[in-house]
Amino acid sequence: MNSTSQLDLHPDGESLNAFAEQALAAPEREQVLAHLAGCSRCRQVIFLAQQAAADAEAPVARPVTQTGAWFWNWRFAWVPAAAMAAALALVVAFHPWHTAPAPEMAKVTPQSEVAAPTPIPQEQTSAGAVHKNAPAHTANPVAGNSLFGAPRKPSVTLEQEPAPSAALTGEPGATAASSGVGNAFLPSSIKSEPQPETAAQLQPEPAVTAWQQEQKQATSAYSASANTSQVSQKSMRAEAYSAHASRPATAASAGPRLAQQSQSATGGSFDLGTQQQLTGLAPSGRVNSPKLPSGQAVVSRATAQHLTLEIDRAGALFLSGDSGEHWQPVPQQWTGRAIEVRAKTSLSGNTAPEMKFELKNETGSTWASADGMTWTAQ
Amino acid sequence: MLDELWRESGAACYGLERERFSEILESVGRAQNFGLAPGTKASRQQQASYFRSVRLADLVLARACANGHPGSWEHFLAIYRQPLTRAAIAITGSETLGRELADQLYAELYGLMTRDGVRRSPLDSYKGRGSLMGWLRTTLAQRHVDHHRRTRRELPLDDPADGYEPQTAVPAPETPSSALLLLSRAIEAALRQLAAEERFLLASYYLDERTLLEIAPLLHVHEATVSRKLHRVTGDLRKQIVRNLQAQGLSKPAAQEALGADPRDLNLNLKKILQITSLNAFQEKATP
Repeated sequence: MNSTSQLDLHPDGESLNAFAEQALAAPEREQVLAHLAGCSRCRQVIFLAQQAAADAEAPVARPVTQTGAWFWNWRFAWVPAAAMAAALALVVAFHPWHTAPAPEMAKVTPQSEVAAPTPIPQEQTSAGAVHKNAPAHTANPVAGNSLFGAPRKPSVTLEQEPAPSAALTGEPGATAASSGVGNAFLPSSIKSEPQPETAAQLQPEPAVTAWQQEQKQATSAYSASANTSQVSQKSMRAEAYSAHASRPATAASAGPRLAQQSQSATGGSFDLGTQQQLTGLAPSGRVNSPKLPSGQAVVSRATAQHLTLEIDRAGALFLSGDSGEHWQPVPQQWTGRAIEVRAKTSLSGNTAPEMKFELKNETGSTWASADGMTWTAQ
Repeated sequence: MLDELWRESGAACYGLERERFSEILESVGRAQNFGLAPGTKASRQQQASYFRSVRLADLVLARACANGHPGSWEHFLAIYRQPLTRAAIAITGSETLGRELADQLYAELYGLMTRDGVRRSPLDSYKGRGSLMGWLRTTLAQRHVDHHRRTRRELPLDDPADGYEPQTAVPAPETPSSALLLLSRAIEAALRQLAAEERFLLASYYLDERTLLEIAPLLHVHEATVSRKLHRVTGDLRKQIVRNLQAQGLSKPAAQEALGADPRDLNLNLKKILQITSLNAFQEKATP
């Protein structure tokens, strides 16, 4: 700046910048300030330069003055956190719903064991003991999710007691009661339970209805001809499940066998009593060390009243009249190799059903017997 | 000390020898009289103090660029290219105009203008008292304001959109009454007695309509201080006007009543009054 007294001359950029940056000495600053007081052009220059400096410093100062920076960084974390919380809430909300069928499924099977009246006192006591153990299984919610999981353990105990199913066959009232119930899945012993609280307890709840429908489809053959003897069929189904559950190693083969039974049952005859296949269990509940005279494992078993028939792996048929304590071989009166034996009955009116057994060989041919010793081709 | 300053400035990186560096410092110091008032002889200590206050790195870079040193220009572009463009855009308020202004300044800085066969660069005028970036911003603002004022004068006269109104017959101003004449004299005398900072404050706030926040950094005070200063200056100015009116023969109530006159009735050129140098103001203050 040459002179502040001459208004035609302005301070140079050096002086104006030094004034704005407080770099001028006091005398020169006073000169520049006096000029700025009367020079709108130089005032405009320094204000524009100051504004540009402020704009240039703004991006640098912005992160420092941005007090909510941490929030903006964490704000994106709220999205996955909220999603996880929602998923957790859904899991918590639907967990009881998914586990609801478990107690129902487990409730049905033990009741079928307990409610089944047995004519044998000691076995009834045994059934009661088993029922006491049942809640331990029913309390397992995981077991309820499995199709065969829940009935497994209680069915083993039922399998150890051939008496209940045999007792059912001897009770006409049970048969009459079961004929009026459309649900073929429920064991007949449950349906025949006269106590109202037990009946209410055994009513299918919505949570288990779907599973029951599946079971209906699987057992439609049984249901189609359930006019007269649903009781025995359901008892057989229960024992088939128990046989399946008692040996996990043979669980895969239980399904096809069940289907075979269904096919054979569509012919108008019904099994009554217990029927076990590939169980390896003795009727008394002991693990079956082969007690047959042949010394081989049992592949099929049928029980009706006091008679028990078993087929070993060789296809030989044995008959026991004292619940498996003593066996006598049955002479082969059929062709081929026997692979399956089942109890069979034909109900007629109010009379007691005529007990019969049915035997099937490997080609699917069947033979029937009333006493287990004499067989006639069907 | 010169050796120390020479090493600290990094002048050797730009090919500036010690002798050349010493010449630059000497010329800068003498041009500013080492920061002292004109006519005052600076001692060696004052000279050293002045040299230490100079931004040597920026000064050396500017002089090296003015001399056309390639390395210094690379360094200059790396540091100041982008900030200078942003500053130009901020000053002009337009991306296009800002880039154009910045490019034009670059061309000038490189020394396209020659005089007597010698390349001249505006960077030669930088003396290191403020930052080089601040100097560049101020130069950009000067270019922009000068360009705006030039082009404003070149506006077509028949464009009513630009605020031009054809002159009509202006009625002859009425002869001011004696009271208004006294008031105008009292105001002019009061303004002449103000200090430079006070006049700058009044001009920036009332004439330029700048905010307190804009004024405060230039005065190196807080905006609240600017507000208090404004309040004090206006109050003192009013009292001084009343005193001047009383000195001219009016009573105090008459002087107070005269202050209520319409400012549009006053024949005052405030711009001229505010352009009074501070030296004159000091002289008037010294006069009883």
